[in-house]
Amino acid sequence: MFSKKTTEQIKLETRPNSAGATAFYNNPKHRGWIYQTALFVFLIGFFYSIISNTLDNMSAQGIKSGFSFLNTSAGFDVLMSLIPFETTDSYTQIFIIGILNTILVSVIGIIFSTILGFIFGIAYFSRNWLIKQIAIVYVEIFRNIPVILQVIFWYTVFNALPIARESLNLGDTIFLNVTGLYFPMLVGESGSGFVYSAAAVAIVSVFILKRWAKKRQDLTGEQFPVLWASLGILAGLPLLALLVSGIPFHLDYPALKGFNFRGGVSVIPELISLAIALSVYTGAFIAEAVRAGIQSVPKGQTEAARSIGLKESKIMSLIVVPQSMRVITPMLNSEYQSLVKNTTIATAIGYPELFTVFAGSALNQVGQAIEIMFMTLAIYFIINMVISVLMNHFNKRTELSTR
Amino acid sequence: MSAKEFKPLPAQPAPVTTTGPVAWVRDNLFSSAFNIAATIIIAASLVAALPGMIDWLFISANWSGVTQDECVKDGACWVFISAWSQQIFYGSYPTDEIWRVNLSLLLLTAVIASSFLLSDRLRNKISIPAFLLLPFVCLLLLDGSMIGLPPVTTDLWGGFSLNVLLAAASIIIAFPFGFLWALGRRSEMPFARSVSVTCIEFFRGTPILALFFMGSVMLPLFFPAGVTVDKLLRVWIILILFMSAYMAEVFRSGFQAIPNGQYEAADSIGLGYWQKTLLIIFPQVIKVSMPNILATFVMVFKNTVFLLVIAVPEMLQVIMSALSNSNWLGGHAIEGYLFVGFIFWACCFSMSLLATTIEKKLDTSHKN
Repeated sequence: MFSKKTTEQIKLETRPNSAGATAFYNNPKHRGWIYQTALFVFLIGFFYSIISNTLDNMSAQGIKSGFSFLNTSAGFDVLMSLIPFETTDSYTQIFIIGILNTILVSVIGIIFSTILGFIFGIAYFSRNWLIKQIAIVYVEIFRNIPVILQVIFWYTVFNALPIARESLNLGDTIFLNVTGLYFPMLVGESGSGFVYSAAAVAIVSVFILKRWAKKRQDLTGEQFPVLWASLGILAGLPLLALLVSGIPFHLDYPALKGFNFRGGVSVIPELISLAIALSVYTGAFIAEAVRAGIQSVPKGQTEAARSIGLKESKIMSLIVVPQSMRVITPMLNSEYQSLVKNTTIATAIGYPELFTVFAGSALNQVGQAIEIMFMTLAIYFIINMVISVLMNHFNKRTELSTR
Repeated sequence: MSAKEFKPLPAQPAPVTTTGPVAWVRDNLFSSAFNIAATIIIAASLVAALPGMIDWLFISANWSGVTQDECVKDGACWVFISAWSQQIFYGSYPTDEIWRVNLSLLLLTAVIASSFLLSDRLRNKISIPAFLLLPFVCLLLLDGSMIGLPPVTTDLWGGFSLNVLLAAASIIIAFPFGFLWALGRRSEMPFARSVSVTCIEFFRGTPILALFFMGSVMLPLFFPAGVTVDKLLRVWIILILFMSAYMAEVFRSGFQAIPNGQYEAADSIGLGYWQKTLLIIFPQVIKVSMPNILATFVMVFKNTVFLLVIAVPEMLQVIMSALSNSNWLGGHAIEGYLFVGFIFWACCFSMSLLATTIEKKLDTSHKN
């Protein structure tokens, strides 16, 4: 059977058997260097031509370069600002306002989309057929419609609300009309610091209580009603402080003055529409992630939990959801990041977040596209990096600990 | 031997409480106090809301007519949609030349169908080249000036057909790019890897709207003086780069799903790098990533609506300009947005259904 040599073997034998005989270009290592050098040369040429073209075009069109425009006065007003602003303030101020507004709507969006996502994600597993159908319908409708259409839709709905004089009102404290949402603001008087510190003490003591209860349960097996005790502390301590110090707070109610409301907290319709659209859209994706996460927990876990006699609600909260977080957290990370990126759709309705106000209005006036886009994109990268770091930290805690 | 013959009694029907509609209702609607309350509340709100909605949408809606004055009934004014239907689907494309848009859409359908219908051997030879050529054929056909048809400038292209063709043309060209970037990210060449990672992370980390914006304000600066690049072409370039980054990540997870044995087997029969990658690995990667590819396509298809911000006349932009038309100032915004929403929903939903079907077919694990 082995007496006859195949042609392949003959070829191998007749080939000079030394490493040096491999052609230089056939060595994968050398090839790698050749490819990379070619890529490097190409990229140098590419960027050289882009940069030289850009410089030529900019000098031809009389566009300045550099960041000196940041100190000049902007000269336009901003619809909403978390810090004091006047039209004479500089572009730096505009930039900061934009960042703050982006962060504001991102935080609101992340909070509400997470709540919606977890509610509908868990509702998918409800034993009630109607609830399950509603969860399915919610996910399938809202994740399949472009988010920019949703924000324009909500904004249109908002614009159909009555004028200030005929606003929808809830017990004469909360008002909703075409110019926005108005609700009372809590204003602290002298002595309110005492109540704040009582609240801080309450939060700290809840953490201590939780650690103590866990330690006790680990040692003795006795359970302590942590939830009720914590709620009691959280509500009781500040309330006690409030009564002792004689309620150093008053509510600043919004009131109709002239054509619109004054006082209290006002939220502009652009922010509300954007927050609704982003929360509902991202919430649908998060619900899908939660569903996938829960489904990834093997059925045996639920059955085992049932067999040791846990209640259905306890099975969800103690067995299934903690295990599914391993799958859900990485998906939440990417959903949060895309929510932050999607805040840019504000430009369709004019909510003054970073992209609208800086890459839109400021760019229009200054014309220095390169610098402005660079600064804008840098902020989005930084925000997303922060989210990524936080979520990875959280992920470390939920990860499967293998021994 | 007169033992009685054993005759089993006919089986009793299962108790009403365990099978049939009554049991279903008990189990699925009224199994606990909470569920009873939930069922009643949901059912009550459905009863309160649904008839009014159906009435507004269909029964007392206005279906026929050409002007908004014919919308006399209380319901939705669908006349708005039918009067603007040509613009909604074809933009301002000349009426006599619309067959070219239709032909492009037909070619797209044919190419997609061919990849399902042809035999394996023909599929590789015909469908793949057809896919890669399709964007350019459509470009020639729609523009017309190169093949002797009356030229139609790109600012006239628009409507829903633009959304579809732009998304399809982008994902097709993004295939090879994304594949190259994914290979680069996996490669052992440090410089090539870092270039790929930078590209992928840049285009994934940047909001698509910012990319479109850069396409319209920054890209013209990059070209030599005197060269003007068409706006739609710039949008296409941006979409291709954006898609490539997402496709690269899709392919990367596909690569990770391929067992190492496949690479080793390819090495052991003496295949070179490209033979191994293209003949052994790539087909398997495509297969496992199909659901994700569809999801990416759904994403880019939805993202084409973002183009309205830079005034490209895609579907929603057409609706919005129709709403500000002086003959149609009757407040038909809700009808318009519902229609756009419905069209996009129908397309994206059917694609995600397809993705789920493929995923189920591929999933051979028996976890649950």
